[in-house]
Amino acid sequence: MRGTRERQKWGSPATYFIAFVFIALCLGPVLYIVIGGFRDNSQITASPAGFPSPWRLDNYLNVLTSPTFWQQIGNSTIVALTTTIGVVVLGLMVSFVLARYKFTGRGAMYSLFAAGLMFPMTVAITPLYILIKDLGLMNSLAGVILPQIGFGLPVTIIILVPFLKAIPDEIEEAASIDGASRLGFFFRMVVPLSVPGVVTTGILAFVASWNSYLLPLFILSDQSMYTLPLGVQAFASQYSVNTASVLAFTSLSMIPALIFFTLFERRIVGGLTGAVKG
Amino acid sequence: MKRKDRIAGILALAVGTALLASGCASGGDSSSDGDVAMTFWQNSTTGEGKAYWEKTVADFEAANPTVTITMQSIQNEEMDGKLQTALNSGDAPDIFMARGGGKLADVVAAGQAMDITDSIDSATKAAVPEGVLSAFEVDGKIYGMPTAVLPGGIFYSKDLFAAAGIDAVPTTIDELNTAVDKLKAADIAPIAVGAKDAWPAAHWYYFFALRACSQATMTAAAQSMTFDDPCWLTASEQMEEFVKTEPFNAGFLTTSAQQGAGSSAGLLANHKAAMELMGAWDPGVIASLTPDQKPLPDLGWFSFPEMSDGAGSAGAMMGGVDGFTCSAQAPKKECTDFLNFIVQKDQQEGYANAFHTLPANTDAQGVVTDPALQSILTAYGDAPYVTVWLDTLFGQNVGNALNTGVVDLLAGKAGAADIISAVNAAAAKG
Amino acid sequence: MSEKSAGAASVLDEKTLTGTRKVGDIAPNGASSPTGRRPRRGADWRKRLEITVLSGPAIVVFVSFVIFPVVLAAYYGFFRWKGYGPATDFVGLGNYAIIFADSAFREALLHNGIIIVLSLVIQFPIAIVLALLLNQKIRGRSVIRVLIFVPYIISEVIVGIGWGLMLQTNGAVNDLLESVGLGAFRADWLSDPKIAIWSLMLIISWKYIGFAVILFLAGLQSIPEELSEAAAIDGASYWQIQRNITLPLLGPTVRIWAFLSIIGSLQLFDLVFIIWGQYIASTAGTSTMATYMVANGRTSGNFGYGSAVAVVMFLISLVIALTYQRYVLRRDTAGALTERQK
Repeated sequence: MRGTRERQKWGSPATYFIAFVFIALCLGPVLYIVIGGFRDNSQITASPAGFPSPWRLDNYLNVLTSPTFWQQIGNSTIVALTTTIGVVVLGLMVSFVLARYKFTGRGAMYSLFAAGLMFPMTVAITPLYILIKDLGLMNSLAGVILPQIGFGLPVTIIILVPFLKAIPDEIEEAASIDGASRLGFFFRMVVPLSVPGVVTTGILAFVASWNSYLLPLFILSDQSMYTLPLGVQAFASQYSVNTASVLAFTSLSMIPALIFFTLFERRIVGGLTGAVKG
Repeated sequence: MKRKDRIAGILALAVGTALLASGCASGGDSSSDGDVAMTFWQNSTTGEGKAYWEKTVADFEAANPTVTITMQSIQNEEMDGKLQTALNSGDAPDIFMARGGGKLADVVAAGQAMDITDSIDSATKAAVPEGVLSAFEVDGKIYGMPTAVLPGGIFYSKDLFAAAGIDAVPTTIDELNTAVDKLKAADIAPIAVGAKDAWPAAHWYYFFALRACSQATMTAAAQSMTFDDPCWLTASEQMEEFVKTEPFNAGFLTTSAQQGAGSSAGLLANHKAAMELMGAWDPGVIASLTPDQKPLPDLGWFSFPEMSDGAGSAGAMMGGVDGFTCSAQAPKKECTDFLNFIVQKDQQEGYANAFHTLPANTDAQGVVTDPALQSILTAYGDAPYVTVWLDTLFGQNVGNALNTGVVDLLAGKAGAADIISAVNAAAAKG
Repeated sequence: MSEKSAGAASVLDEKTLTGTRKVGDIAPNGASSPTGRRPRRGADWRKRLEITVLSGPAIVVFVSFVIFPVVLAAYYGFFRWKGYGPATDFVGLGNYAIIFADSAFREALLHNGIIIVLSLVIQFPIAIVLALLLNQKIRGRSVIRVLIFVPYIISEVIVGIGWGLMLQTNGAVNDLLESVGLGAFRADWLSDPKIAIWSLMLIISWKYIGFAVILFLAGLQSIPEELSEAAAIDGASYWQIQRNITLPLLGPTVRIWAFLSIIGSLQLFDLVFIIWGQYIASTAGTSTMATYMVANGRTSGNFGYGSAVAVVMFLISLVIALTYQRYVLRRDTAGALTERQK
């Protein structure tokens, strides 16, 4: 019989086997990149799918000791964190309005944001570039952050609105009976209740910003302002001779996003499960 | 309610429009107190080339203490896109790489390039031939300074030719076909081509066109952007024939031109392929991709084979001219000073050595020792005329369509006539 | 009220939420409540202020940085414009006529269609089965979940560089096939037009299946166990339970996932661009509308034409999205777009 409360029981071998196969497929290419960084170019040309022999640490060490790498990580972190905070805060506020207020323009406002999903960055890049330049934000991280917040709002709103809608009216009524205003209700009750949704959208926003390539490519011209994907591509073409080096740089640049996700993974699923289990 | 949101929206739109309208005119970089700052974009991201530019900039700054130049190295394949965006938004670098032809004409038409006709100093005029300077001429005025002449032809590995039993360099297309067969028999990839970047593949078409079309036809086509002269189709068909013999390296469609050991230059550098049709920059690129990062010792060069009964003159050459242009908003004196500076004999000798290529300054050409380059110099001197690459000549729009059309033919996706229809169609899009 | 009911309400929107709402039906804003309480003037003004304050910043940022450039792009689409200086060569709908007559564009559109359909068809079964398998509270579950999400986290630039290297003719994949004796399967994964699109689908699926699984898992875990327990008590088998209870309740999640997948497929650019470069995507049969736009727009310097292509992309996406919303998502988003049912 299913449904016991045991949390640590082992699953069937079949499940683990299938999971193992799937994970192997998922991680295979990643491992190729990571392990490739431990080889040198002649190894790669001679035996493309082979293992390092000998293992060489200098590619990774070169990257880890290069100040450019850490600078780019710093830039990427600043941009991604600020974008995430901006998207989440602004998105939560607007979603609250869309979910719990009734007013005539509500459908139009929702459609406005939903329409933003339809436009990829490639389309808007040239006029956007001109706008950023006119605001004097060229070659600054703010010039990347602000548009990213804008482009990140549609997905956030689409996810948060149903979430906020689902908060039963009784809570709101109870709060208002207790004398709290709408805004008070927002800050004191909605925000804590929406944490799981916020975490999900925050992660999506963070990952999207971290991996964003096209916008920084056109806004950031100074190498010291580069974010990590720009740095990877620049490194890849600058040292394209040195495939092993490129692989090392590439694999190191995957790590921060992975750490971020690992840290918050429990919260996502935990948050969703918690809502059901009580 | 709804109205407040509408008002907020309209305000945002208004603010945005106002900003855009007011910001359309952009100012230059020079300040009024005498100190001048300029930005400089070039396409050497690594090695000796980048080092050469860094030294050149430093030398210029030393000679001109009030001037500071910030240099940006941009990968060659990304240069066009980034430059396009920068020029488009009025945020152009003061000094940027240019190659003349239709691409430059577009920039000039938009008023983004500086006319330097009167600022070329006499030393430059004496040392750089008229024909080379004219690559940067638009409507009778000069808009850029050439730094390198880059005629094209076939680079080959003497060792691999010897291994396949080829004694003499091919001078006709039939001899080339024979050479290809011998190389295949010796299990060597005959010709490397970086079709992923499109232009290396297209260069094969350009040369067939050079042999099939007269100089007058090509110039006329550049003006009218129509390709009705039958010589274009003939060139296409001749290339199709050649491609049918399967002379290219395996996976050539995803081989890049210059990036990494798997690129076409890399294949030559590592003796994995015997020939490559390229411009005079190739010795330098190959040198950076060899295992010891030194120039390939057995690299040779021969002119593109002659075709029988083509309208092109025998010995005609096609090549690029690399150079630099000043942006229209750049500080005139300092910018033209820089252009004149980089084309001086000393600088050009350094350039030739760093890039293993041919400098535009004829006095500096004496330092060229690479045997392949020397062959080119000889052929260049003997050539009745030299045209610029067709994609440069025709401008980015038609040039790109031409390049892509050629790749389609190489992939067997299109026929000889489709190249012609592709370029005609492109002319309509822009 | 207990958190449990709040949670249950958050999931089973359609079924129970309407039920809870009917109890004690006093809406705080009182605008259309059956008891007929009238709003006071002050409350109305305050409500408007709250709406402005809360939604203002987002609207300003969004309109300035998303809508405004988009509108500008539409404007440029009516011109032939090299991108330098102001646009002066007005051609009206001329660009659009060329777009629809261009076989390269139709090919790109076809490729997008293939990618949309194949993405759904390939990813859905695999993801569902995996999600169902991993939904059990077994040891190591969170580790497994983290690991399958890894491909999604990695940027498309990295995925492109890595897979591009692996699928080269003399790259790791062919080498691996040789070394296990499957040398006959060596292929030109990237440049053979018959194979390239499948290589692309392989890479796309690799990257996004993990995302589907996680999404489905989240949806699955919101389904209360009591339902399947009750069915089990009634004698239903595991697969019967999945078919009749779990999958239907997973419906909203699946529909949202499909929507995101379709939109993503329509806008696919980075992967194709990094692997196939600027020029050979159409030759290899993997061009998309976005790569067509960049190749014929920015790369060729035809900014007016490129903007027109962008507008076409937008309209196609819009039509598909609206159709999808109307006919598929209608049940799920009923509350968001229309008045609440009282």
